Amino acid sequence: MIEATGITKAFTTVSGEVRAVDMADLSAGKGSFTLILGRSGSGKSTLLAMLAGLIRPSSGMVRIKGEDMGTLTDDQMAALRAREIGFVFQFSGLIPTVTALENVMIPTLFLPKSSGTRERALALLSRVGVADRADAYPATLSSGEMKRVAIARALINNPSILIADEPTGDLDVDTEAEIMGLFRTLNREGITIVMVTHNPDLIPCASHTYTMDRGKLTENPDALLCRRGITGTLLGQDLQ
Amino acid sequence: MNENFSISRFITAGILHRPARNLAITVCFGLIAATIFSTQFLVAGTAGTIGEGVSRMGADLLVIPSQYALLLRGNQIGPVTAGTIIRVEPSSMRIATSYMDAIRNVPDVAMMSPQVYVASPSVPSLSASPVDIYGIDPITDFTITPWLTEPPVKSLGHGEIIVGSAISGEAASSIPLGAHTYTISGRLDPTESAVDHSVFMTLDDAYALAAEPGILTPDAPPIQPGAVNAILVKAATGADPSMVGARIQQPFPSTTLKVLERQATLKPASKAAQGLPALLNTISLVVVLAAFPLVALIAAMAAHERQRETGLLLAMGAPRRSIFAVILTESLVLALAGGIAGVALSAAAIFLIVGGGHIPVLQGFQLPALSGTMAIAATAIVIVVLVAGLASLVPAWQSSRMNPWEAIRDTR
Repeated sequence: MIEATGITKAFTTVSGEVRAVDMADLSAGKGSFTLILGRSGSGKSTLLAMLAGLIRPSSGMVRIKGEDMGTLTDDQMAALRAREIGFVFQFSGLIPTVTALENVMIPTLFLPKSSGTRERALALLSRVGVADRADAYPATLSSGEMKRVAIARALINNPSILIADEPTGDLDVDTEAEIMGLFRTLNREGITIVMVTHNPDLIPCASHTYTMDRGKLTENPDALLCRRGITGTLLGQDLQ
Repeated sequence: MNENFSISRFITAGILHRPARNLAITVCFGLIAATIFSTQFLVAGTAGTIGEGVSRMGADLLVIPSQYALLLRGNQIGPVTAGTIIRVEPSSMRIATSYMDAIRNVPDVAMMSPQVYVASPSVPSLSASPVDIYGIDPITDFTITPWLTEPPVKSLGHGEIIVGSAISGEAASSIPLGAHTYTISGRLDPTESAVDHSVFMTLDDAYALAAEPGILTPDAPPIQPGAVNAILVKAATGADPSMVGARIQQPFPSTTLKVLERQATLKPASKAAQGLPALLNTISLVVVLAAFPLVALIAAMAAHERQRETGLLLAMGAPRRSIFAVILTESLVLALAGGIAGVALSAAAIFLIVGGGHIPVLQGFQLPALSGTMAIAATAIVIVVLVAGLASLVPAWQSSRMNPWEAIRDTR
């Protein structure tokens, strides 16, 4: 479903070239739930942005459903994102000028044909538990509600892949549990999920886990994770 | 189609959600539109006023008897004044109207009309000053009728007269002159010249009146039908009156008749009046040119403010052309709203000020016709929208070319 081979993202700074992601390999099959763990600034979000086609790698190749992203134009990549990928940002990522319901409907504007949009958006809001806030503007929503609306928006075009960048980072424990339950349900329904997180408690949800450290991506064997848990030794202080 | 949601709803929401910012931008566009509208409205009004003034400026050339020209040169009668080119000076020297056949064929002669001076009797019931009586040709006249206070319903007819502003008598009332009475068919605006104490009748009536005993002074030679004191000539628009005058003079010996040009002192005032539209047009141009970078800056700031939104839209799969359209359309909508509001308020203010006639300097200002006003309004709005569109092109293009990830990350 998603396959990254030797992808590197390098930035030029005053002190020289910095590799935010360095020769990363990742494979997330159809229906898989992939977690990418790592401390802040390790390059997780940059990796996720490349997997979602938001930025192009400096080198290496990303394939989504067999399509080499490097061969696509910007608009072709945008069309692929609209069609195949739902993205849940670390922050709420809602457009402040329109209601929750309209936020959910926005991605449908970028598909050639879309019908029953309003009903589907309402159904999704209902599914994520905020149907009663459909007409509310983002500024009046709580963090948890905003995150739920963002998830509903990511699902509106029936994507096959859901990419989430620390979707529970700023939520309380109960809301985090509810949101993760929602992700698990979506995964069980066949949606491929790639998620960046700090939270080691989410590991049992994952079919694959990777660790990002200073731009280097390492796959964690399931057995190792189950035996050791995610410790500070493995992932650093952030995960404790 | 997406039920209840569309790009236009998205744009509208974007505009309405930032009322303070967008109101400020709209006011800015409104000021530009108001300036363009008001200056162009004044340009059109000034052109109309000048046109009206030019139509009243009388003749460009006077074709007069040579002896009369000699008297003028010797300053025994006086210089050719503004009054002279509307109504010829009282004189007993005449030429035949038959010269008109030759003058008519001279190139660039747009109009010509004869006038004959009859007499200046003292009629205390009409005026404290002696009343100058003239005969004019109502069909060809172009110097008297433009001064009428009311547009004439029909040409001056037999037994009818046009009176100067200083002559007593109501419209349609009868005035006795000689053995006949004449009906006042029209009154002239004040000219601040001898025209104000004059009475104008048809040439035939003038010849008939002149034939009555006691009308002409004893030393004045009789006025034969067909004799006139001057033929007033208007040169074609754009033609040089001096050249036209030379062409009229050419076939005739200077001992017979003389062609005089309108007094040169009238030209500077005319030129100054005609320079006003150029000044107003320059103001319009300067405003548009000055507004362009300002609008571009506002558009760039607005686009920058929406950078995060733009990044999110791109991340959700918006094609670049959609982003370009959203940014550009928002700017155009604000420009259209500001343009309409600016023009409406400006028009209301102008009509209140000019139409009210409270400002003396603007009295007599010719308001452009409704169709002209609408055209000016439409032009002002179109210019503002064009300025907004052109100034927003670069910010809209830059926004559409943003990398979604960087746009989002930079504004977090």
